[in-house]
Amino acid sequence: MLEGQIEQPFDVGSIEMAQQKGSELVMQPSLSIQTQNVGRIYKLHGPKKKDDAKEVIALKNVNLEVHHGELFGLLGPNGAGKTTLIKVLATLLLPTSGTASVTGYDVVKDVKQIRRAISMVSGGETSGYGLLTVEENLWMFARFYGLDTDTARRRIEMMLDVVGLTDRQRSKISDLSTGLRQKMNFVRGFISDPNVVFLDEPTLGLDVGAAREVRGFVKDWMREHPDRTILLTTHYMAEADELCDRVAIIDQGQVLACDTPENLKKRLRHEPIFTLKVGPLGPKPSHDGRIEAVPGVRQVRVDDVDGHVTLNLTLAAEDALSNVLAHISGRGSKLISLEKNEPTLEDVFVDMVGRSLTVDTSQHGGGQDE
Amino acid sequence: MNDEGRVRKATGFRLFWITLWARAYPRIVGTTREKSWIFFDTLLPVMGTTAYIFLYRALNAPPDYVGFVVVGGAMTAFWINVLWSMASQLYWDKDAGNLELYVLSPGPLMAILAGMSVGGLVMTGARAAAILTVCSLLFNVTYQINSLPMLVLVFVITMAALYGMGMVLASIFLATGREAWHLSNLLQEPIYLASGFYFPIKAMGFWVATAASILPLTLGLDAIRQLLFAAGPSLGFLSVKAELAILSVLAVVFIAGAYVSLYKMEEIGRRQGRLIERRR
Amino acid sequence: MSLAERLMDSSLMRRNNALRSFTVAAWLGWQIESNWADPFLFAIYSIARPVASVMILVVMYSVITNGALDQPIFAYVYLGNALYILVGQVITGVSWVVIDDREHYRVAKQLFTMPMNHALYLLGRGVARLLIGTISLIIVVGFGMIVYKIPISAATIDWPVFLASMALGITTLAALGLILGALTMMMARHFWVLGEAVAGALYLFCGAIFPLETLPAWLRVVGFAFPVTYWLEVTRRALLGPDAVGFPTLVWLSDKQLLLILVGSALLMVIGSMSFYRWAVYRAKDKGILDMETSY
Repeated sequence: MLEGQIEQPFDVGSIEMAQQKGSELVMQPSLSIQTQNVGRIYKLHGPKKKDDAKEVIALKNVNLEVHHGELFGLLGPNGAGKTTLIKVLATLLLPTSGTASVTGYDVVKDVKQIRRAISMVSGGETSGYGLLTVEENLWMFARFYGLDTDTARRRIEMMLDVVGLTDRQRSKISDLSTGLRQKMNFVRGFISDPNVVFLDEPTLGLDVGAAREVRGFVKDWMREHPDRTILLTTHYMAEADELCDRVAIIDQGQVLACDTPENLKKRLRHEPIFTLKVGPLGPKPSHDGRIEAVPGVRQVRVDDVDGHVTLNLTLAAEDALSNVLAHISGRGSKLISLEKNEPTLEDVFVDMVGRSLTVDTSQHGGGQDE
Repeated sequence: MNDEGRVRKATGFRLFWITLWARAYPRIVGTTREKSWIFFDTLLPVMGTTAYIFLYRALNAPPDYVGFVVVGGAMTAFWINVLWSMASQLYWDKDAGNLELYVLSPGPLMAILAGMSVGGLVMTGARAAAILTVCSLLFNVTYQINSLPMLVLVFVITMAALYGMGMVLASIFLATGREAWHLSNLLQEPIYLASGFYFPIKAMGFWVATAASILPLTLGLDAIRQLLFAAGPSLGFLSVKAELAILSVLAVVFIAGAYVSLYKMEEIGRRQGRLIERRR
Repeated sequence: MSLAERLMDSSLMRRNNALRSFTVAAWLGWQIESNWADPFLFAIYSIARPVASVMILVVMYSVITNGALDQPIFAYVYLGNALYILVGQVITGVSWVVIDDREHYRVAKQLFTMPMNHALYLLGRGVARLLIGTISLIIVVGFGMIVYKIPISAATIDWPVFLASMALGITTLAALGLILGALTMMMARHFWVLGEAVAGALYLFCGAIFPLETLPAWLRVVGFAFPVTYWLEVTRRALLGPDAVGFPTLVWLSDKQLLLILVGSALLMVIGSMSFYRWAVYRAKDKGILDMETSY
C-alpha cells in the first residue's frame, strides 16, 4: 500500500484532450471490456503539504479486449496495477490517458449505463451496516440496483444457499467472521444479476472449502448466460488456471502477456522444467561457479528446506540436466530425487518478470491499494 | 443481448424512490436494535436544555423565554442529526467501504443522501418530541398556536432546507478533509449561537440576524416561536410569511446545491482517486 | 529524530510500561488531533466553538438584564461557563478514543494484544484534547477580560489554590472520561458523542451558570454529589480573588475544605474508574464485542 495523500495531476479537461488527440476507441459489439492505451498516474504527497509530490505510474498503455461470455484473469503481484485497472473499468477512477469501454460504453462519459450493468466484489471488503442482518444488508444493496423486494428476497435466499450462509441469514453482520462476511460480499456482487462482474481477489480470507464453493459458483454463473463476463484478479495461480478462459499478466502497470492459460504455459513447454531435491550444496561459490552459470540452465530457483535443497530448474534442453547433475556432484552434494514438471502460470510469470509473484512491486511504481 | 431469464430492474424515478427507502431503512431499524440511544439521545439532551431554562429562571426572565428554550432545545436535535448523521455520514460510509459501493450502484447518490435524511428525520423527530413533551410538562410551558397548518408548513419547509444543507455539507466534508468529525465539532455551538436556539434571534441585532438567516434553523425557529407563543410575534425577527418565503428559497437552493456538490464530489473522487475509496 | 521521539526512545520509557503507554498515546493523540489539512481551520476550531458557547450565555444574560454585564455575578457565570469547556474536552477526549480506535482506525484488536496499560493509553490519547481545551479556555478568559472586563489579574489570583484545584479537577475529569470510555466499549457507535452528551447534561447540576438553589431540592443532590461543582467553585474563587461575589451555594465551605473534598473525590473517581474500566474490558471480552463494528 502506498502511503500519503494521492492526487491526480491532470484535470478532466486534459483527459478529454488526451482522448481527442489520441486514437478514438472503436467499440466492438463482441467485446464486453475494451481498453486502449489506458494509463493512470497518481501523485503521492508526503505527510506535510509542502513535501514535493512523487508521481507514481500505476498503469501504462494497457490494451485489453475481453469478450462477452469470457472469464478473464488479471495476474500480477501486489502493486502491479490490477485494482487500479478494475477501478478505472468500474467507473470509480478516471484514466489519465487512453480510453476504455465496458459493455460498449465509455468509462469516462457513459457512467450511468455502465453502472447498471456491472458489479464489484473485493477481497477483505468491510461494507454494510453492522447493526443490520445479512439479509437486510443484501436487500438494501439489491434495492440500490432497482430490484423489487420479492425478487431481491428470492435471490438472496437462493444465493445464500449456494454459498452456505442460509443459517446466518438473520445474523447481524457485526457478528460474522471474516470468511462469512466475505461470502456475504460475494453474494452482494451477484444479487443484482449484473452483466459484468469485477472480482478483485474474491477468495481472499476464505478457507479452502469456501474458496472451492465460490469458484464453483463463478463457473456455474458464467455457464447460465452467454452474455456474462467476469474480470478476476487473483494471487492464486491455480485459481486463475482453473477458472479463466484467458489471462493477462500485469506487472508495474503494464500488460506483459495475454492469452489462454494453456497457450501461456505452452510458451515454456519447449523448455523442460525439473525439480531436484539434493543434499546441502556447501559454501556459496563465486559467480561463475553457480548453477545459473551451468550451460543450458535458463532459470533456477533455490530453496533450502529441512536440511536439503530444492532446485526448480528451467533448462534450454533436456540434455542440459547431465551438466547440472555434474555440477551438483562437483559441489559435494548428492541427488535425492528428481521430477520433471509441467509448467504452471507461476512459472510463466517468473519467466516473464524474472521474479516470483509474491514480490511486492508497489514501491517500483505499480498500482495502489493492492 | 439476450435478456431472457434476467432480473427486471427499476430505473428513473422509481429507482430513486426505492434507493431512498433502502437507505432510510438502516437508520430507522438501527434505532430498534441498539437501545442505549433512548437514554443518551433523549434524557441527556433534556438535561442540557433544562440548564438553560434554569439560567433564565435564575435571571427572572419572562415565562415565554422558557418556552423559547424548550422549542430551541427540541430543534437542536435536528441540527445535531444533520451535523453528525448527514454531514459526516459520507465520510463514515467511505470509511466502512460503503461509499465506493454507493457510487458504483445505479441508485443515485442524491437518493442515498435523501434516504439518510428521511431515516434521520424519523429518528430525530422522536427525540425532539421527547424533549418537547418532557420539558413542556416539567416547566408548564403555555403554547398559544395561532395557525396549525402554517406551523406544519413552516416545520416541513424548514426541515427540507435544513436537510438540504446537510446534503451539501456531506459533500463538502468529504471533499475537505479526513477529519469530518472536527468540522462537525466546529459547527455545533456556533450554529446554536447564530440560529438563536436559546434566545430570540432578534436579540443579535438586524445585521447579525440577517446574516444568520442563511441557516434554515434561524428563520425556521423564529417563525415556529412566533406561531407557538403569545410573546412570539413581538419578539420575532421578520413576519412569518416573509420567513416562510425565504425558507422556501433556501430549501430549493440547498437541494439544488446538494445535487451539484455531489456531482462535483464524485468527479473529483474519480479524478484524484482518493475521495471515494477508504484510506486511513 | 524529533525530541518527542527521542524521549519515547529513552531507557526509562522502554522499562516503564505505564509511562510508555501514556506518552506514546499522548503523542499519537496529538498527531491525530493536529493532523488537519489546514492549520488555519485548526486554530478556528480551537477558538470558534468555545467562544460561541460563551456568547450564547452572554446574549441570554444581556437579553434579560438589558445588557447589565458589569454586575459582579456575571463574572462568576462567565467563568463557570469558560471552565466548563474543559469538562467536555477532557471527558470526550478520553472516551471517544474507544470508538475512534475500534470503528475508524480498527486497531482495537491489535491494541489489546499489546503489552501496555490500556487505561493509561486512553488517558494519554485524551491529552491532546486537554491541550486544545486549555488553549480555548485561555482565549475565552482573555476575551472576557478584554471585552467584558472580567476582573482577573495575575496579582490577585490565589495561585497555589488555583493550581491545586486545576490538577485535581483535571484528574477527576480524566477519571470520568475513563468511565465513559469503559461504557462506550459496550455501546454501538451513535451519531452523537457520549462525552459531549454527558457534559451537556451535567451542565445542569454543577452550578456553572446558575446557583444550585435554582434547582428543585431533589435535583440539587446530584449537584452536591458531583465533584465538578466543587472544582468550579474553588477555581472561580482562586481566579477572582477574595472580593468576588459568587453563588450562595457553597459559601459555608472554605477554599481548604473545598480542596479537601476535591482530593477525596478525585481519589474515589480514580479508583472507581480503574475498577469500572477493568470490569468493562472483561465484559467486552466476555461478550466478544471488544472489536465490534457498528453502524446504521
